[in-house]
Amino acid sequence: MERKSILLVDDDEVFVEAMIAILESRFRVRSAKNGTEAFREIDEERPDLIVLDVMMDYMSEGFDVARKLREDPETKSIPLIMLTGVDERYDYREEVDESWVPCDRFLEKPVELGTLLAEVEALIGRPHS
Amino acid sequence: MTANRFSYIFGPELYGRLLWFGRLRWLAVCGLALGALLGPWLGFGGVWPSLVVIASVVALYNLFFQGLLHHSRQAGRSFTNLRAVAMFLMVMDLAALMVTTHFTGGLQSPLLPFFAFHMALGTVMLAGRSMYLLAGGVSLGALALLLLEARGRIEFHPMIAGGTLDVSTGSLNLLTLVAALFGIVYLTDSVASRLKSRSIELLEATEALSDRTETLQRLLSELEDLERRKSHYMRISAHQLRSPLGTIKTTLRVLVERIVDPSTKRGRKLLDGALEVTDSLLAIVNDLLDLAKIREGRDRAPWSRGVNLNQLLADLFDSLATEAAERQVKMIPDFEGVAVLDWGVPPALVHAFENLIYNGIKYSLAERPLTVELRTVDESAVIKIIDQGIGIPEAFLDRVFLEFVRAPNAKQHAAEGTGLGLAIVKEVVEAHGGTVSVESPGQEGSTFTVRLPLRHTPSEAQRLLRAGNDRGYGAETHRWA
Repeated sequence: MERKSILLVDDDEVFVEAMIAILESRFRVRSAKNGTEAFREIDEERPDLIVLDVMMDYMSEGFDVARKLREDPETKSIPLIMLTGVDERYDYREEVDESWVPCDRFLEKPVELGTLLAEVEALIGRPHS
Repeated sequence: MTANRFSYIFGPELYGRLLWFGRLRWLAVCGLALGALLGPWLGFGGVWPSLVVIASVVALYNLFFQGLLHHSRQAGRSFTNLRAVAMFLMVMDLAALMVTTHFTGGLQSPLLPFFAFHMALGTVMLAGRSMYLLAGGVSLGALALLLLEARGRIEFHPMIAGGTLDVSTGSLNLLTLVAALFGIVYLTDSVASRLKSRSIELLEATEALSDRTETLQRLLSELEDLERRKSHYMRISAHQLRSPLGTIKTTLRVLVERIVDPSTKRGRKLLDGALEVTDSLLAIVNDLLDLAKIREGRDRAPWSRGVNLNQLLADLFDSLATEAAERQVKMIPDFEGVAVLDWGVPPALVHAFENLIYNGIKYSLAERPLTVELRTVDESAVIKIIDQGIGIPEAFLDRVFLEFVRAPNAKQHAAEGTGLGLAIVKEVVEAHGGTVSVESPGQEGSTFTVRLPLRHTPSEAQRLLRAGNDRGYGAETHRWA
């Protein structure tokens, strides 16, 4: 059975590198540096799960990406984990308002490896290899 | 004058008293009616029809004025001439009382004390000279009544049937009445006016107090605002540090747990990455420290006399030449005249202009010129750093000087940058009494304009001057002057 694919969207290349190292033994992992690249990657191949950073090219780019993903029927059902170094839940609550991010999990950086793997597995299942 | 200032308070008070007086008047009406009813039974011969007439007249005008007052209050209009109404009512009351007196034994009437009673009430209501006038009027009226009755010009109505006119008792009563009237007006007036001036003092004190309370409240809310901004700044700073720390931790974790072997090429790459992030972390910490130093240590800053900006900028051109060459940016100095600040902190100014010029180089496009213009206009040095780089989106123009604000295109163009450089520039320029602004017309490059007043003398420098203590920074002064 083919391994599930994960798309990492984060502008922190070092962090992405480390995350790929963590996830690649069990999943197929691709990465994107910003929203534009992310949509290009999704168009190319629909991932089974997306891990999305909030602060990329601008403070709340991740929120905009998440909102677009949820609006599009094609990508609506892709499980979404939001990851952030800044506690945006607190900082942007007012700005985001009714369109508050519809993600499946919200994890804060630095995220524990165990926690992340558990969340990923909870959303797309344990890989059968 | 003071009384007028508070007429908005005393107006309603007089109004209330008039209404209250009106209610008392109904008692008088009842008393008169009762007198008329009981009079014949008690042996007051022939008096009762007159009392009924007086009671009716009093009842009529009382009804009229009470209605008028109520109506004007309901209509929300302030009664324009309350004092005139009060005066008129007093005169009417006194006249009615005089007529009643006439029908109840003239100057031997047991109702005479009611004049004193009326005067006391009237003085509380209408303090001052008008009451002495009324007292005079009543005295004259009583005198006329006595004289007319004594001479038989008008008929004497004894209180008790069969009573006779006793001129000497009447005269004595008249004297007592006059003394009582004036005495009561005097006493009541002095007490009432003292009370009134007290309440004016009280009102003034209350007003002053409420002014002060407002000032305090404003200061308090400003302080709270400052505190909030401070804690916001601290939180943002901490978060800015946490993000790279998170990356470093995750990377180290991957290596420590041997998910990637550190000795492999990939492990090496991760280590290099972590080192890079550590550098950026250090840069943020350094900038934060600089910013804090400028903010806290203004009074300890090394203020020097005669800071030559031409020299300072020329030195920066030299020290930034390598960076400019690396990015193929052509730096062009365009200095007209010589700008020397009376007072300045050279290291801080170097830091600020270095940030601006370095930004110009960093966000410029290859082969484009970066012009640094220096002019002296109206006792101010105007320095413009003009690049033809990526520009700044309009939405960010007024925010770029805030801590940790970086426009998206800046981040894409040059990943490194702490987001604190322009905050430092603003802080330094403002410490020198100057301003800094930015334009980016159509997002085709940006122009940062710094205005520094040449004659600005900061209070710290003045203190140094007074203390004759500016020698300590002489060495630096020479370097820049």
